[in-house]
Amino acid sequence: MTAGLFAVALTIVLPAVVSALSQAWSTVTAMNAMSRQPEAADTMRGALLLALAFMEALTLFAFVIAFMLLGRVG
Amino acid sequence: MAEKLEAVAGVLPHILRHEVFYIGPIPVTSTVVNTWLVMIALFIGVWLLTRKGFKEVPTGIQCILEAIVEFIYSIIDSGFGRQGRRFVPIIGGYFLFILAMNISWFIPDLVPPTTDIMTTAALGISALVVVHATAIYEKGLGGYLKQFVSPNPILLPMNILEELIKPFSLALRLFGNMFGEKMVTSIIFVLVPLFAPVPVMALGLLMGAIQAYIFSLLVTTYLAHFHHE
Repeated sequence: MTAGLFAVALTIVLPAVVSALSQAWSTVTAMNAMSRQPEAADTMRGALLLALAFMEALTLFAFVIAFMLLGRVG
Repeated sequence: MAEKLEAVAGVLPHILRHEVFYIGPIPVTSTVVNTWLVMIALFIGVWLLTRKGFKEVPTGIQCILEAIVEFIYSIIDSGFGRQGRRFVPIIGGYFLFILAMNISWFIPDLVPPTTDIMTTAALGISALVVVHATAIYEKGLGGYLKQFVSPNPILLPMNILEELIKPFSLALRLFGNMFGEKMVTSIIFVLVPLFAPVPVMALGLLMGAIQAYIFSLLVTTYLAHFHHE
C-alpha cells in the first residue's frame, strides 16, 4: 500500500521536475532572445507558449496515469 | 491537523460531476448544466454588446470588441498566416467559449465545465472533425488522402496515429491544467481559508486565459498543417 502510493507519487513528481527544468530552460533562452531583439518579441512569444504547452502536456499525461494508478492502489 | 487532512481527502467529490436530474434514462450531470449556464451568459453578453450595431469610428464598447477580434486575428496570423482569416468564426468561438468556461470558476459554487474530462474530450473531438471536414471540403477527398502518404507511404501509420493523438492531447492539456488548478486551490482553501488561496486563484485566472489561447492556437496550427501545400 505505502510502496504503491510512493510509486504513484514518483509517477507525477519525476515528469514534473523534468518538464519544469525544460520549461525553465526554454523560457530563459526566449527571454535572452527577446532582450536582444525586442522587435521580434511577438513572434517569439507565440512560439514560446506553443513549446511550453507541449512540454506541459507530458506532465499532464503523467498526471492522468498517476490518477489511474491511484485507483488501482488505493 | 488530523481533521484538516480528513477534510482534504473530502475535497475531490466537490470537484467531480454529479447527476442533477434525469431525462428518461439519461442522466444530466452538473457539468452539462454549468455549460448551459455559461452558454446563456455568453449569448446574452454577446447580444447585449452587439445589439446597437457598429459605427465607422469606434467608440466605447466597440473599441473593446475590436480589440478582441484583433487578438483572434493575431492568433490566426501567427499559426496560419493571413489567408487563414476565413477560420475566424471557429477559432474565435473556441477561444471565447473556453475562456468563458474557465473564468466561470469565479462564480461561487459553480464548478467550471472544463474540470470535467468529458467537456474537454468533446472540444477535442469537435476540433478533429472541424480540421478534417474543412480539409476534405477544400482539397477534395483525393487531395486530403494524399496528405497521409506524403512525403512517403511508409509514414502512413505514423500520420494516422498523429491525427488520432491530437484530440487526445488537446483534451488532456485543457483538463489537466484546469483540474489541477482547481484541486490545488480547493486544498489550500481547506488548509488555510483566509487570503492564502487568492494568489493561486489569480494564477488560475491567468492560466484559464492562457489555456484558451493555447487551445485556439493549436487548432489553428492543426488547420494550417492540412491546408498548406
